[in-house]
Amino acid sequence: MKNFNARFQPQITLLARLLLGGVLLVAGGLKLNKPTDSANAVAAYKILPANLAHLVGYALPWLEVAIALLLIIGIMVRPAALIGGAIMLVFTAAIASVWARGLLIDCGCFGGGGEIDPSLAAQVHRTYFIEIMRDLGLALAALYLYLFPYGKLSFEKAAVEE
Amino acid sequence: MAKQQAKAQDNTTRWIVIAMVLLVVVTGVVFSLMSQNNKENASLAALDGTKLKPAVTATIDPANGSAIVLNPGQAKVIDVWEDPQCPVCKNFEDANGDYIESLVRDNKATVRFHVLSFLGDESVRAANASFCAADEGQYLDFHHALYAVQSPLENSGFWSNEKLVAIGSKIGITSTKFADCVNKGSKIDLVKANYDSMEKYGVKGTPTVFINGKLWERKSPDFNLAEFKAAVEAA
Repeated sequence: MKNFNARFQPQITLLARLLLGGVLLVAGGLKLNKPTDSANAVAAYKILPANLAHLVGYALPWLEVAIALLLIIGIMVRPAALIGGAIMLVFTAAIASVWARGLLIDCGCFGGGGEIDPSLAAQVHRTYFIEIMRDLGLALAALYLYLFPYGKLSFEKAAVEE
Repeated sequence: MAKQQAKAQDNTTRWIVIAMVLLVVVTGVVFSLMSQNNKENASLAALDGTKLKPAVTATIDPANGSAIVLNPGQAKVIDVWEDPQCPVCKNFEDANGDYIESLVRDNKATVRFHVLSFLGDESVRAANASFCAADEGQYLDFHHALYAVQSPLENSGFWSNEKLVAIGSKIGITSTKFADCVNKGSKIDLVKANYDSMEKYGVKGTPTVFINGKLWERKSPDFNLAEFKAAVEAA
């Protein structure tokens, strides 16, 4: 395993960057031109007070796109991965909290959002599980990038041999 | 020495990148906030030139969840459960609002409006103001105006008491009694009574409509007048 990582680390780093960056780019890009939906989606989690939730909803798509571009181009990969991983953990906690409180909402991860008809409860619970697994997976990719930020096709190179 | 310089340069790059990311995010937020506020204030202009229609006496029916009752005593009874902030209620109003108003004005049906408020503070304020307008006999006018200016962003701060009074006066409800009632939250007990009656009637979301006590279920993907009209006429 150690050998494998030593051999393929630059490629794995590239893959992780494209994976995390790609998901963030799509997620942010789909929400950019619908700030109102994004603000409503964050408010539907009922974690933050309404006006704060709206601010987060407005900021999130731009933050996601900015982090995505840094990861994909390969600039400041370590701090970008740190923030990317942190927001994935926040998303995971938010969805878990919604699930635990029995709220039925669309996560609004890729646009949309808001409350869902109670008749779809079983389906929504399965979706929560998948979303949590997905976000944890992306958090792992972020962790890898934090540990090994320098890889193939990167704008930024390791300054010193590590 | 060279290494130190490289390190210093590296730090500068870092700060430039961080500053750029922050700039992008802040610009996005400010832009979104401004466009939201502009849209909300512009929507008020839609009410310009609205003429107040003849008053319709409204009563409160404590036996039926403290709903607003218009045109009592008709054979046909329609119960409409709405939250002023609910976007789907706006769709329902856009499609069927005028028809429901005609049922009241032409004495074709009794209509009971259950004004709900589960979408937050602005729903509570708007519901309170709705009961105030009902006192003036202008519930239908106010109801129509609220949906005409409904913000796509819930609890955005748009429906302050001040704005609700302004919406009223724009459509011709200018009495100080109305303004007082809105500002003091005089009808908060009725707002609460309507909300509390949801469970008793098995109302889980909005809009919910009962025609002669029977739950109306729409078949088409969107609200359309023909479908609703047929259901009311068949009852």
